[in-house]
Amino acid sequence: MFGKLLKYDFRSMLKQFAFIWPAALVLAVINRFTLNGLDSSSAVGETTAGITMLVYVAILVAMFAVTMIFVIQRFFKGLLGDEGYLMHTLPVRPWELIGSKLLCAVATTLLSIVVAICSILFIVPWDGVNWGEVFSGLRYVLSHWNSHATHAFFFLLEFLLFLCVGTAQSYLHLYLSMAIGHLFNKNRVAMSVVAYIAINAIISALLSFLGAAGFRFGFFDIINNTEFFTSRPEAVIHATSLTAILSISLVGAVYFAGTEYILRKKLNLE
Amino acid sequence: MNDQLVTCTGLTKRYGGKTALSGLNLELGRGRIVGLLGPNGSGKTTLIKILCGLLQPTEGAVLVDGQKVGPSSKAIISYLPDRMYFADWMKATDLFDLFADFYADFDRVRAMSMCASLGVTPSDRLKSMSKGTKEKVQLVLVMARKAQLYLLDEPIAGVDPAARDFILSTILTNYNEDGTVMISTHLISDIEKVLDEAIFLKDGQITLHDTVDNIRERENKSVDALFREVFRTHDLEGGAF
Repeated sequence: MFGKLLKYDFRSMLKQFAFIWPAALVLAVINRFTLNGLDSSSAVGETTAGITMLVYVAILVAMFAVTMIFVIQRFFKGLLGDEGYLMHTLPVRPWELIGSKLLCAVATTLLSIVVAICSILFIVPWDGVNWGEVFSGLRYVLSHWNSHATHAFFFLLEFLLFLCVGTAQSYLHLYLSMAIGHLFNKNRVAMSVVAYIAINAIISALLSFLGAAGFRFGFFDIINNTEFFTSRPEAVIHATSLTAILSISLVGAVYFAGTEYILRKKLNLE
Repeated sequence: MNDQLVTCTGLTKRYGGKTALSGLNLELGRGRIVGLLGPNGSGKTTLIKILCGLLQPTEGAVLVDGQKVGPSSKAIISYLPDRMYFADWMKATDLFDLFADFYADFDRVRAMSMCASLGVTPSDRLKSMSKGTKEKVQLVLVMARKAQLYLLDEPIAGVDPAARDFILSTILTNYNEDGTVMISTHLISDIEKVLDEAIFLKDGQITLHDTVDNIRERENKSVDALFREVFRTHDLEGGAF
C-alpha cells in the first residue's frame, strides 16, 4: 500500500512542477546565449541580457517558493483538509500517509536543487575549459586512488546524507506543527505557527542543555585527547558529521512519532 | 464473519465543552438499509465519521465486523462524505485508478457504466465539472464498490427532488446486497419507502431503533410523521422541513 501512496504523491508532484522545472532549464539555456552571445556593448544587447537574467532569477526564486508551498499544502490540505476525507478512509496506516508525503517532499526539494544546479551549469560558457586536461586529471585521481580520496568520497556521501536528513527533519517539524495546530477547534493556522515556534524553542533548549552536559561530563575531551582521534584528523570530521546526522535523525524521528500519534489517536477532521 | 456488522458501546464524543454523542449504544446487522434520522446537529455526521475513522471517540468502543477501526475496517467501508474530497487536477478516471489500487472490491467496469447512465464523462477534469456532476462522480466511486458497509452522509440534502430519486435509485440498484447501507438524512419522506430500519438520533443519543414495519405497526403512522412529532421543537428552529 505504501508504494501505491507514493505513486499518487509523486504523480501530483510531477503535475505541480511540470512547467516550472523545464522553464528554469530553458531560461538557463536562453541566458547562456544572451549573456555570452549578444554584443554587450550595444544597449539592445545589454537590455536583453538584463531582462532574461532577471526572468531566470525570478523563476529560480519562484521554484523554491513553489517547492515550499507544495510541501506545506500537500500535508495541510491533503491530510488535514477536505482531501483528508479521502486519504484517511483509505485502508492504510497513518505512518504510511506521513511517510509517503515526506519522501515525496524530500525528493521534490532535491530535484529542485538539482534543476537549479543544472541550470547554472547550462549558463556557464565553459569556453576556456580544456576538457582533455579535466579528464586526464580525473583518470589520475582514479588510478592513484588512496585513503585521502576514500575519505573525500565519504565526506561527500556524509554531506549528501546530511542534506537529505536535514531536509526531512525540517519538513517533519512543519508536519508536527500543523498536526498540533489541527488539534484546536479554531485558528488552526495560527496555532500551527505557535506550535512551530514552541517546538523550535524546546529543541534548542534541549540541545544546548545536552551540549553543556557534554562539556560537563567530558564527552568532548574524548575527541580532543584520545590518541585515536588526535592521530587521525579525518576521524574527527567523520565523527562530527555522523553525530550531526544521527542527532538530526533522532529529532526527526521524535517529530514523526508525534505526528503519527496525533493522526492515529487524535484525528479531528471537520 | 461476525454476526453484528457494527457494534458501538458507550460511544461519547465531546468537542471542547460541547457533547456531540453521549454514551451511544448501537448494533447493526447485515443486509439492511438503515436510515440515520435526526435534525441538524443531532450527531449523525459525528457517528459516521467515527465509524470510518475520521474522528476519534472521546469515550467508548466501536467494532466494525468484529474489528477496531483501522485499515481492515476501512477496506470494507464505503463512505460518501458531505463534501468534495478530491484534488481538482484529477480526472474521474484517475480517481477510478486510485480506488482500484486501494480497494479490492472496487468494480471499474461498473463505475464506467454508472458514469454512462448518470451522464458523466469520466475523462473530463474534475475542475471543469459542475458541482452536481462532481457529486455524481463521488456517488459512482462509493457505489461501484462491493462494500460491507456503506456510510452515506446526507446524499440527497443539496439536490432537487428529481435528482433525489435519481440518487436513491443509483444507490438501490448498485449496493452490495449482503452489505448494509446507512443513510443519514433529515429528509425522511423521500427515503422512507426504501428503509428497512430507522434510527432516531436526538442530542447525541439514540431515542429509537427499530424496523420501519414495526414502527408503522406500533405507532400507526409513517416514520416521517413520527419523526415530525418527536422532533417538533427542532422544526421551529428550522432543523427539519
